[in-house]
Amino acid sequence: MVSLNPIRILKNEAEEEKAEVARMSSFIGAIAIGDLVKSTLGPKGMDKILVSCGRNSGQVEVTNDGATILKSIGVDNPAAKILVDMSKVQDEEVGDGTTSVTVLAAELLREAEKLIEQKLHPQTIIAGWRIASDAAKQALAEASFDHQKNLNEASLRVDLENIARTTLSSKILSNHKEHFTKLAVDAVLRLKGSGNLKAIQIIKISGGLLEESFLDEGFLLNKKVGVHQPKKVENANILIANTPMDTDKIKVFGSTIKVDSMAKIAELEVAEKEKMKDKVNKILAHKCNVFINRQLIYNYPEQLFADAGVMAIEHADFEGIERLGLVTGGEIVSTFDSPDKVKLGHCKLIEEVLIGDESLIRFSGVALGSACTIVIRGATQQVIDEAERSLHDALCVLAATVKEPKVICGGGAGEMLMAEAASRAGARTAGKEAAAAEAFAVALRRLPSAVADNAGYDSADLIARLRAHHSRGENTMGLDMQNGTVGDMKKLGVTESYVVKRQVLLSAAEAAEMILRVDNILKAAPRRRGPDRRPC
Amino acid sequence: MAPKAGGDAIKANSSVYKDKSKPTDIRLSNINAAKAVADAIRTSLGPRGMDKMIQAANGEVTITNDGATILKQMSVIHPAAKMLVELSRAQDIEAGDGTTSVVVIAGALLDSAEKLLQKGIHPTVISDGFQKALQLALQVVENMSTPVDLNNEDALLKAAATSLNSKVVSQHSTILAPIAVQAIRAVMEPIVSGVGARVDLRDVKVIERIGGTVEDAELIQGLVIPHRAANVNGPHRIEKAKVGLIQFCISPPKTDMDHNVIVSDYAAMDRVLKEERQYILNIVKQIKKAGCNVLLVQKSILRDALSDLAVHFLDKIKTMVIKDIEREDIEFVCKTLGCRPIASLDHFTAENLVNVDLVEEINEPGGKYIKMTGCGQGGRTVSVLVRGSSGAVVAEAARSLHDALCAVRCVARRPALLAGGGAPEAAAAASLARASLAAPGADHYCLRAYADALEVIPSTLAENAGLNPIETVTELRAAHAAGAGGGAGVNVRRGRVTDMRTEHVLQPLHVTASALALATETVRAILKIDDIINTMN
Repeated sequence: MVSLNPIRILKNEAEEEKAEVARMSSFIGAIAIGDLVKSTLGPKGMDKILVSCGRNSGQVEVTNDGATILKSIGVDNPAAKILVDMSKVQDEEVGDGTTSVTVLAAELLREAEKLIEQKLHPQTIIAGWRIASDAAKQALAEASFDHQKNLNEASLRVDLENIARTTLSSKILSNHKEHFTKLAVDAVLRLKGSGNLKAIQIIKISGGLLEESFLDEGFLLNKKVGVHQPKKVENANILIANTPMDTDKIKVFGSTIKVDSMAKIAELEVAEKEKMKDKVNKILAHKCNVFINRQLIYNYPEQLFADAGVMAIEHADFEGIERLGLVTGGEIVSTFDSPDKVKLGHCKLIEEVLIGDESLIRFSGVALGSACTIVIRGATQQVIDEAERSLHDALCVLAATVKEPKVICGGGAGEMLMAEAASRAGARTAGKEAAAAEAFAVALRRLPSAVADNAGYDSADLIARLRAHHSRGENTMGLDMQNGTVGDMKKLGVTESYVVKRQVLLSAAEAAEMILRVDNILKAAPRRRGPDRRPC
Repeated sequence: MAPKAGGDAIKANSSVYKDKSKPTDIRLSNINAAKAVADAIRTSLGPRGMDKMIQAANGEVTITNDGATILKQMSVIHPAAKMLVELSRAQDIEAGDGTTSVVVIAGALLDSAEKLLQKGIHPTVISDGFQKALQLALQVVENMSTPVDLNNEDALLKAAATSLNSKVVSQHSTILAPIAVQAIRAVMEPIVSGVGARVDLRDVKVIERIGGTVEDAELIQGLVIPHRAANVNGPHRIEKAKVGLIQFCISPPKTDMDHNVIVSDYAAMDRVLKEERQYILNIVKQIKKAGCNVLLVQKSILRDALSDLAVHFLDKIKTMVIKDIEREDIEFVCKTLGCRPIASLDHFTAENLVNVDLVEEINEPGGKYIKMTGCGQGGRTVSVLVRGSSGAVVAEAARSLHDALCAVRCVARRPALLAGGGAPEAAAAASLARASLAAPGADHYCLRAYADALEVIPSTLAENAGLNPIETVTELRAAHAAGAGGGAGVNVRRGRVTDMRTEHVLQPLHVTASALALATETVRAILKIDDIINTMN
């Protein structure tokens, strides 16, 4: 007899979700992710506590950064995973707007769900979205402005300060934004357009207050100088190395020395010491007066360096010496046979400074003049970590803006004008695509609406008023979140980077389109595992 | 109750904050957890505060009154409660004292914030309002402080005594306070152009010893090594000593690679033994030649730093030898004695030794220790020997002394003093209450709430002292409302409100200012949280 059960094609435990079900699970997942981070949007957005489970269980992180939140949560839903990945890419590409991009994509899908209910085919929706997003992109490009024509230091600075202020106002640093705006802009302007954020080092030292954070022109290394060595070196020639300074051991396992008398061991011991001394002499032959090693420097070589009056710093971490190599222009060496070929690093002054309870080594007057260090102080580890993330976002945006100095109005003005363009494009379109283009505009308007909601203002009223302004072509109008009214963003100096905004629009539209195209979700059968006996 | 869920019939332009139910629940749970932490240590505030006995998982008992220590030992789970623990740690790092007050203030601020939330004020508005209140409060506190001259030992003594008065060891404050002041004065370096002085607390070494009483605590201008000399029957007291600090070992040679000594017959064995003896003798001869009679040996993990044979020889040349100096301590020892570490035998010469007037091994029932005094070339360091009848007492005395040292350090860093006994908080509260009358909008409520929260300090002080908190606080408020309150605070000893300056209860400005700033920062962070998310890793 033929079985009445459906024929099983997939392997046991593999799953398949089809058409409606698949789409529904995508929508639910994406919208859930969007709602999760929605409340962090805008200057009055809320923070989240992240509690770790597993290995470092109980560790607490407080954050407002979309990328950090999404990175930390584990998602199972495929659509949700796409959104998480997208925010990660946004973080890497431009550094900011990670929340906006997720919320926009989620809102697009929320609208798409409604259209699907009205029996629109996904492909039709996608076609409509494309029309809308092209129109929005163009409107955004037209609305962007820059000081390209009379680009001087002062006007660029004003632009950058406005952007930094806008970015920082949605973060923990909002209360000290003037201070941090100055820090971030100073740091980025020092780079002189190179946009190499690696030259900006961020050091976190707990204790003190956020406003005690400062920018140090130079490089700080969180290490100590060896005992009895000069604590201050002027016109330093720095040799940066990664070499063992205990003994050069034979790296063959189980190699032993066999002798028949104690005197021979004593001789060998002396020979080992001599070898070390040779190595130190070779290093000194480089005519360096500062020696920085990634590995430990033992007592004996330390003393030899002290005798030679050389400052020796041991156990500098890997990132530390790489950055040090970059800023002082030296290279990292591990053999010392040809002193003339090695490039030494240079700087004007090396000295010990005391910040809070910690003493650090400051390298000032480094070869790479653009290098600098930002020292973040704060009450608790959480505050400092969050401040670092916020500052990182601001630095990324600023670096992007320096490269392409176009800016647009913030405070929802960008979204509103894009929405306006999208809905106008929809009105011109004949066919079902018009509905999709209108939906795109609705989704865009949800962003300023969420910003207003988070601040406890009446979003329906504000957005309607904003829309009226924009339909009259006043495309610099946005939300004034200080007073809960509509205001001219250009006058208020609320500006954002054009690059970031464009990236938000394009990534979100792309991701939403990709999710919408899905009509079948296949889950592979999980790999069988033995019982996990590890305690956790 | 907190604002209800719902979004029906939102009036246009309504400024009342409507919230979804989950964020409200999270916020309430955060506030309650944080308040619970604050309540747990509230009773230990002030001179009449109670102590806590903490039993660790391994059965060890700590008795303490120090907020930071209590919270560190309490294993809290709730994330918001953890933030308060972090807060007290931050105060410990920043100021070193006032670790209980900072948590109590944060708890009170959260309590006020909860009431504001119930009124329907948006959390970020409260957060901004509190920031404004903080600025005002800091201004008030700064204005009422009096600058001190760092050479005025009397003022520093008062600050140290106020800090010590709230501890278990308060009856010994007359002994410990001068020690704290002298120690800080010995190590501080005046900042050349500017106010205050720089103090690195690592230059003050506090050594705990069981035996004797707290009164026997002493300050030593020199070095104390808390274990005995390695000699079997060597000298116990050397005047005009020549001290050497070595980082190599006086034991049979050892190469960095593995080695085997192959002994094939009896004669060879004899030879090996003789050579070992010769090797060590050589080192000892060099030591004698250099004229060294006190030898400090760095601890070595790879091999014996000092073999029995070496001890025997060193006994014979009447050299005191002290082993197991930790590598981290080398810098302190060097700074104290003004010597440099010697890493190899060929550097062991007379010029690398230092003169010390007196090195003695002191024998006590609790054990022996080494004391070195009169280090001519030494740097600015001191050691403080804290004693007590039991482990718990010694540990608490050391903690109290640390707080007192920090209090004096705060004055050195920012030389200004405030009246104690809740006076600065009461004064700030009074002027915030006045300012709130003129402030428009939600700020009015926020300033008012901040003022109420600040009164928790005098109120708790009174409560812990068995006074009537309501009566005391109102009396205090009346004194400050007149505007000429000045230093009026809760005088716990007399049980009424008096001018604390005449009572010599003074505290550093830096402690109070940093407590207010840190507490406000943490409260603002907690208010801004609307979700708790469990993460993968």
